[in-house]
Amino acid sequence: MAYIKTHFFSTALCFGTDINVFIPTPDADELLTGKKNDYFVPGVKYQVLYLLHGAYGDYTDWLHLTSIERYAQDHKLAVIMPSAANSFYQNMNYGSDYLTYISEELPKFCEANFPISTKREDTFVAGLSMGGYGALKIALERPDKFSCAASLSGAIDLDAVIGMLGSMPGSPFDYAALFGDKKVAGSDADLFQMIKDLKAAGKPLPKVYQAIGTEDFLYEANQSAKQKLEALGVDLTYEEGPGIHNWIFWDAYIQRALNWLPLKNAPL
Amino acid sequence: MAHLDVSFFSSALKKNAEITVILPSVSADDYLFIDDHPDYYNPETKFQTLYLLHGSYGDFMDWGLLTSIYRYAQENCVAVVMPSGENSSYLTMRHGEDYLRFISEELPAYCTTLFPLSTKREDTFIAGLSMGGYGAYRAALEHPEKYAAVASLSGNLDKAEQKSIGNHVNKMPLNYRRATMGDDLSIKGTDDDLRVLLKKRIDAGCELPKMYHTIGDEDFLRADGENFLAYAKELGVDIEYHVHPGVHNWIFWDRYIQDVLAWLPLKKDMVK
Repeated sequence: MAYIKTHFFSTALCFGTDINVFIPTPDADELLTGKKNDYFVPGVKYQVLYLLHGAYGDYTDWLHLTSIERYAQDHKLAVIMPSAANSFYQNMNYGSDYLTYISEELPKFCEANFPISTKREDTFVAGLSMGGYGALKIALERPDKFSCAASLSGAIDLDAVIGMLGSMPGSPFDYAALFGDKKVAGSDADLFQMIKDLKAAGKPLPKVYQAIGTEDFLYEANQSAKQKLEALGVDLTYEEGPGIHNWIFWDAYIQRALNWLPLKNAPL
Repeated sequence: MAHLDVSFFSSALKKNAEITVILPSVSADDYLFIDDHPDYYNPETKFQTLYLLHGSYGDFMDWGLLTSIYRYAQENCVAVVMPSGENSSYLTMRHGEDYLRFISEELPAYCTTLFPLSTKREDTFIAGLSMGGYGAYRAALEHPEKYAAVASLSGNLDKAEQKSIGNHVNKMPLNYRRATMGDDLSIKGTDDDLRVLLKKRIDAGCELPKMYHTIGDEDFLRADGENFLAYAKELGVDIEYHVHPGVHNWIFWDRYIQDVLAWLPLKKDMVK
């Protein structure tokens, strides 16, 4: 596995930003056993997962706090981990255009600079908590680009989550900065509204994976999200299990999300 | 430009290799001022590439930290790949890692697969300082079909003779030198002797890369380099040579890597 920490200037953000990238390459085990060591050849392309962090997080979280590198190598999957501060993956009212950065600029940059497929069927997005919402938001923003989105403990039903959290002490979210005066419900920050609009326009919808711990403080909000996604006819795979809002759950369920994705487990 | 810290398992080294890669990309200046900047993210185009080697006691971070190579790379629209070679002189250690294969075979294979780098000889260059100047020539003469040009800054080109290097060589631990060159601490007469290898390639009728060497007038390696250049001239090879005021330090290398870039056949744009 090649680990590539990349720093570049983002024109969407107008400042330099970091991403972590994994590209499958022959590893020591393969050299030792003489197996499967011939896949890293000129012209090779990999399926790709954009993997999003949660609130308070950044591009290093998934790398540090799970074994995503090992899982990606096993699946022969490229993984790209950007930073989006506490933006909820929005083009902020006061702040920066993280939605444009991650849905437009980042795929363009990565497709130009790394050996990843540009096909919709090979391009996926996943995330946890704020990034679970972000995964769906980005897939719905670019249904032409992403075929699958996975939310782990995600704030999919954003309106319900905001209603629940309110202005909780220590909250990283400044809702005026994120959304301005607009109400989330019915706006372009409302994932269910986005799905309705895409359906009305006859656009393809991404497949969705949703996982939540049964003791997670977002469990109830994920039940309402599940019902709404199902009512909208989204191709949804829902899983729940014992767990709370932490990295033990995310390390376990990212593996289930990878098993759910239509991975070829080989270069393309 | 994009800065990439890369690590991957190297089968030549049988351990992880860390490299730094610079890829030209939209800079703040491009965004602000330069409407006709190169189309960096065009999937149909690639970068010309300079492999840039550090000297003894250095590693893959040296050029990035101690010069303004990032700025020069962006200005010239050239990708730069900076690997580590320990103190191996970038050769196949007699007891140790195969840095020659790593630098001249595995690294280009990996980098042209991972990143949008041209695979053409005319777009592929290698340079280095001191030990890395020797290493650049060693790699370029190992695979003259891969590199269109090679440049040495203060390079130890006459490593097999090493008449002027003096006591510096004894600062390198003896067990490491034995691992690199074998018990007799000599590479004379082998392919690691650039005189031998150059003659071998000429005798075989190979197309040689364009060659460049620059050194400070007070550099302790100056005489060694000139001995090698004189030998090359006897063989009919004219190595472009520039002596400038200076010694064996980063002030010299930061200044004259810019001359190397000006000498290289750079298009200052993406290539097909």
